[in-house]
Amino acid sequence: MKLNYRYTLAYAVLTFFVLSLGFAIVYSALSRSVTQATIGKLENINELVTSQLRRGLATVPDSLRPYVQASPVAAGAGPHRRTVVVQPEWEAALQARVAVVRLTTYPVVGGQLYRVASRAAVVEPRDAYLTGLVLVFAWTFVFLLALVVILSELISWRILRPFNATLHGIQQFELSQPQAIALPETHTAEFRELNDFLVKMTGRAQSDYRGLKEFSENASHELQTPIASIKAKLELLIDSELSEQQLRTLTTMHDELERLAKINQALTLLAKLEHFEPGPEALANLSQLVPATEAAFADLAEMKGLATTQRIAPGVRVPLDASLAQLLLNNLFSNAIRHNVPGGKIDVSLSETELLLANTGLAPSAPVDELFGRFKKGNAALDSIGIGLAIVKRISELYGHRINYDYANGWHRVRMIFADSKLPAV
Amino acid sequence: MKILLVEDHAELARSIAGYLGQEHYICEVASTFDEAREKLALFSYDVVLLDIMLPDGNGINLLKLLRKEGVESTVIIISAQNALDFKLTGLSEGADDYITKPFPLPELHARIKAIMRRRSAHKNNVLTFQDITADLESMECRVKGKLLNLTRKETNLLLYFINNKGRMLTRQAIAAHLWGDYTDNLDSVDFVYQHVKNLRKKITDAGGKDYISTVYGFGYKLSAPDQ
Repeated sequence: MKLNYRYTLAYAVLTFFVLSLGFAIVYSALSRSVTQATIGKLENINELVTSQLRRGLATVPDSLRPYVQASPVAAGAGPHRRTVVVQPEWEAALQARVAVVRLTTYPVVGGQLYRVASRAAVVEPRDAYLTGLVLVFAWTFVFLLALVVILSELISWRILRPFNATLHGIQQFELSQPQAIALPETHTAEFRELNDFLVKMTGRAQSDYRGLKEFSENASHELQTPIASIKAKLELLIDSELSEQQLRTLTTMHDELERLAKINQALTLLAKLEHFEPGPEALANLSQLVPATEAAFADLAEMKGLATTQRIAPGVRVPLDASLAQLLLNNLFSNAIRHNVPGGKIDVSLSETELLLANTGLAPSAPVDELFGRFKKGNAALDSIGIGLAIVKRISELYGHRINYDYANGWHRVRMIFADSKLPAV
Repeated sequence: MKILLVEDHAELARSIAGYLGQEHYICEVASTFDEAREKLALFSYDVVLLDIMLPDGNGINLLKLLRKEGVESTVIIISAQNALDFKLTGLSEGADDYITKPFPLPELHARIKAIMRRRSAHKNNVLTFQDITADLESMECRVKGKLLNLTRKETNLLLYFINNKGRMLTRQAIAAHLWGDYTDNLDSVDFVYQHVKNLRKKITDAGGKDYISTVYGFGYKLSAPDQ
């Protein structure tokens, strides 16, 4: 939910409560003032009757008779104070049960105590005004809400613009990009603080990243020359006159060095791929590359007695640099052969949307998901350095292709789902 | 044949120069950019082996300079850069070949030979060793005039042996030569055994002698039988 929607919702709830409260107050005030007005009118009548009594008119005028009664009261009949009673009664004139106000006063006229009682029906707001009041408040609520929604859009667009720009900047930011994060200027203190913090933090992360990258690149790069030197010397030494024992030792050294060189090469390659920026138009023709790679590995497969089946859709071109595609396929095919069982099978299928390479083999000893990590081996017994799948994964990621691996019923399956299956026909 | 080796790592330069000397090349060493430029200005070389990372400059600039001045030498880049660097960035532009460190010395030798042969197109295109001949044009190999039915890999392997006759070739060197340096496939050395076995069988079946000897646990050697 967007920030301004949350605001609007909170404001709507608040407005609703405030308006309800206001409605209750208005209603009770109205109700009270109607009663008070009626009491005022009755007091007038009582005064009128009292003054008539004083002038010697013994009875209440006819016109007032249904509403006012006046009668003398015997002295000493207890305290006589003015009383006001409001209660619902059956009102014959209205043919309805309505609230009736009764006012009783005890004036003394000529030494004689009188009891003057008047009554009047009150039209309570409940009856007549309630619907109107509710409508007024409902419309006010709707109008306010509409105003809030529109204003919140406008205001948040205006106020939150720098924030949204910052968000956009963060989304566009990549650790490996050469320039610093791009955030727009803002006058809002909080946003400026946020931007300053982001610029500082990403700057540090970038310089750390660059340092680490440079170090790992240089480290493995600088190792290549000494390794080459040792290797050359060993080769020269092996070519000289040696005892069998010496030759055996040198051979072991040579093998270990070879392994070291391979690991180092793979790490250099991975470091290279870490910050490789794929060109936009690189397209690899897999329909051509896959069978070609299969053919290049055919002799290795044959020696292991593997049967290969291929289903290749024609004209499949995917975004991938051609030499990276070759590297990827080499790794996949050499894995399919290496992790196979003698007399096993390899099944290659290429379609417009995916490349599937399946091979028979023993179950992997490590969890399936970890195999794409570095130095993870599915089978510890094999003499590999376990970095091939990490390279495959990295290359796929560079171009947004998804790669997954699973093992079921004696088959290893590596599936590469192409990022964009709708490619322009070439 | 004269070779200029431009390499700043003194020990590696000494080993390579020593090895090439054994192969009867005249090999001179330059350890800096300036020294190399001076030597190239004064003398002419058939082959320049060029390292890219030099203490006082980039080998690629030297290569550009050479090409601009119209020096005809064959240039092979020897660099610690990854093979992928060359392919992705066109680093080797203007060079005849490149080889990445660390490399087996016989591989370097094979590359030099291959390039020199390509350069002198109308010269001798047939390799011979004892009674084996290999026509580099048609890629046909014969034993005592009898055509061998070899696969492409086996032909490649035989040429590698002949180019490095009398030398010990490690299984890894052979594997790298046959399959390139892309794969993380260390057990491809086991397949070398198969290929060598097949090649030996085809040669002996055709009536040739078995010139290839096995150095157990290490590699193979093609040599003339002891006289």
